[in-house]
Amino acid sequence: MKNSSSYTAIAYLFLAPALILMGLFTFWPVGYNAYLAFNDYSIAEATATWNNFAHFKYLYGEELFHSALKNSLLFLLVVPVIQVSALLVAKLVNNKLPAMTFFRAAYYIPVITAISIAGVVWLNVYKYDGILTWFLQSLGLIDEQVNWLGEPKIAIYMVMIFTFWKGIGYYMVLYLAGLQSIPTEVEEAAILDGANAWQRFWKITVPMVKPTILLCTLLSTIAALKAFQEVVVLTRGQADTYTALYYVYAQAFTNFNFGRAAAAGLVVTFFCVLLAVLQFRFFGEKK
Amino acid sequence: MKLKKMLTVGAAVFGFAALQAHADTELEFWTMNLAPKFNNYFEGAVAKFNAANPGLKAKWVDMNWDQIQPKLIASIAAGSPPALVNFNVPWVHEFAAQGNIVALDEYVGAAKNVYSVGALKDVTVNGKMYAFPWYNSVSIIAYNKDIFAKAGVKAAPKNFDELVAIAKQVKAKAGVAAFAPKLDNFEGWFYYAGLPMVQNGKAVFNSPKHVAFVQKFADLYKAGVFPKDVFKMAFEQEIAAYNSGRIAMMTTAPQALKRTETDAKAIYDKTEVAAFPTDAGQRAFGAWLMDFVVPKGTKSPADAAKLGLFLTSDEQQVAFSKATESTFPSTKKANLDPYFQAGAKSADVVERARAVAAKSMDNARTLTIPPGVLPDGASMNKKLQDEIQNAIEGRKPVKAALDEAAAAWNEKLAK
Repeated sequence: MKNSSSYTAIAYLFLAPALILMGLFTFWPVGYNAYLAFNDYSIAEATATWNNFAHFKYLYGEELFHSALKNSLLFLLVVPVIQVSALLVAKLVNNKLPAMTFFRAAYYIPVITAISIAGVVWLNVYKYDGILTWFLQSLGLIDEQVNWLGEPKIAIYMVMIFTFWKGIGYYMVLYLAGLQSIPTEVEEAAILDGANAWQRFWKITVPMVKPTILLCTLLSTIAALKAFQEVVVLTRGQADTYTALYYVYAQAFTNFNFGRAAAAGLVVTFFCVLLAVLQFRFFGEKK
Repeated sequence: MKLKKMLTVGAAVFGFAALQAHADTELEFWTMNLAPKFNNYFEGAVAKFNAANPGLKAKWVDMNWDQIQPKLIASIAAGSPPALVNFNVPWVHEFAAQGNIVALDEYVGAAKNVYSVGALKDVTVNGKMYAFPWYNSVSIIAYNKDIFAKAGVKAAPKNFDELVAIAKQVKAKAGVAAFAPKLDNFEGWFYYAGLPMVQNGKAVFNSPKHVAFVQKFADLYKAGVFPKDVFKMAFEQEIAAYNSGRIAMMTTAPQALKRTETDAKAIYDKTEVAAFPTDAGQRAFGAWLMDFVVPKGTKSPADAAKLGLFLTSDEQQVAFSKATESTFPSTKKANLDPYFQAGAKSADVVERARAVAAKSMDNARTLTIPPGVLPDGASMNKKLQDEIQNAIEGRKPVKAALDEAAAAWNEKLAK
């Protein structure tokens, strides 16, 4: 006869491997990072000294960090676009038509492509005499060659398009799984009731994949705020594309000011948590 | 019985091996981006060192340049740094100021006089030697003879203003972008022109002379003398542009020509080389000294220094230059080796480039702002670069851009 406490013990036993790994490689670094944010850290002596919020005061007055944070928040524009598109694409590839596997794979390929390689390809797309300029010129939409990644007014949007291309397949797969869990009877019943495709999409599909929408929106919001790799491979922060995590990286590995980097990282985390709370309010299940 | 015997023998062998391994002090040294191309050289060097130094065992590890610092920091924090690490000059100054590398004078003694005066100055911080100078390089001009002929350019430039004039002529008459100077760290250009960055704790790069100098670049950009995305162009992109005939000149390290030779033979056959002229700073352009530092906390600094002296000795430096065919030693004697001038009249452009560059080595200095001067180097350099890019790409008047950057610097310097 097992009692409930031994069930709990067994449950924790099963959780233990994952918890230990996460504790070691996620929770501990996060906690230590938060600790560093309030200290001056010396690498040579490996000592940390409390500094009375000096890093946060510095960041408060630091113009570069403000513009970096602004760019990271601007990056959030990707979220609604990529979510709507991913859901639509998932809906399209959720048909039982020949060659559908091909399309699903095609949309997913950018996700598994190494970002450094994708970056090289897109650098050539965005070069002032590259494919994009050529394409738009041959359509007669532009006359002059445009330095897509060099103009501060447009460069960050170009980086976002790259992020969109790179990420849409990932969310498409998640939505596809969500769509396939919708029972076909519901849709059939709606058809019998005379609902058209548009109504079925909004009244049936969207409500039923709401948990997936929450998950995907959350993931892409965090990814957008953490935008860093795409900036490194495309612009190295030039032309007003410097993001908050780029600032964190530069402070840590160019300046070796790990305390300030940790503080800046904590500010980014604050925004992540804030947005996550908002999204749970919007899309979460109401009890 | 048999099993017992085997175990005894096994234990004896294992014990002996363990003892042997224990007896040898392992000296791991890190280099940046030299494998697999120079495996032969390093395997030879390691074997030679190990044979000459019983009890020491050198071990070569190569990594990408951007991994060196994070890995070194991690290993210092973990208490197990390597014996030697391949650094560039700015890193030497940074790490010396932070106390993360060891001063070498006590281990080196009089042997430090084998290095050339300029190289030694580059790695000296507060009167102490912090690195073993290793290989160096300077920029040369490699130009496409066909494009020069089309533009009516007769001779290579003798000074910077001639270079500017020739570049304009190339664009105007041949319709090709002339060259793609590296602009991602403009500080180096100011030093080249003999213009200071910081004086008496204040940013001074917005003087009329600085403005006039940057204005030259802005004018060239506007005239289309540089490719439109010149700010994004690094070593690789410049070679690619030259190899496809889209720029008339490469102003780069001589080893770039090896790439032209293999990737674009037709362009290579039309290539001629010239020295990159000096300007008011009397500095050879593009000098970039590589060296070895001993990280703080390394097990045996004296043995590490032994390996450092060996790897940067006259003999090893000449051997390494022969392996690269395009870098130069930093010791006084090694640079006089006949190998470097032997190709002056050669039919092969790479050999001529070597002779041209070797002659510029006397002026080779790697200059940067001394460490500790900039309170937030990463942000300050970013600000300066952004403003200079705005100025050169014509989004802002040069004076306004430099004023703004200097104001931002002074605000931070005053803190």
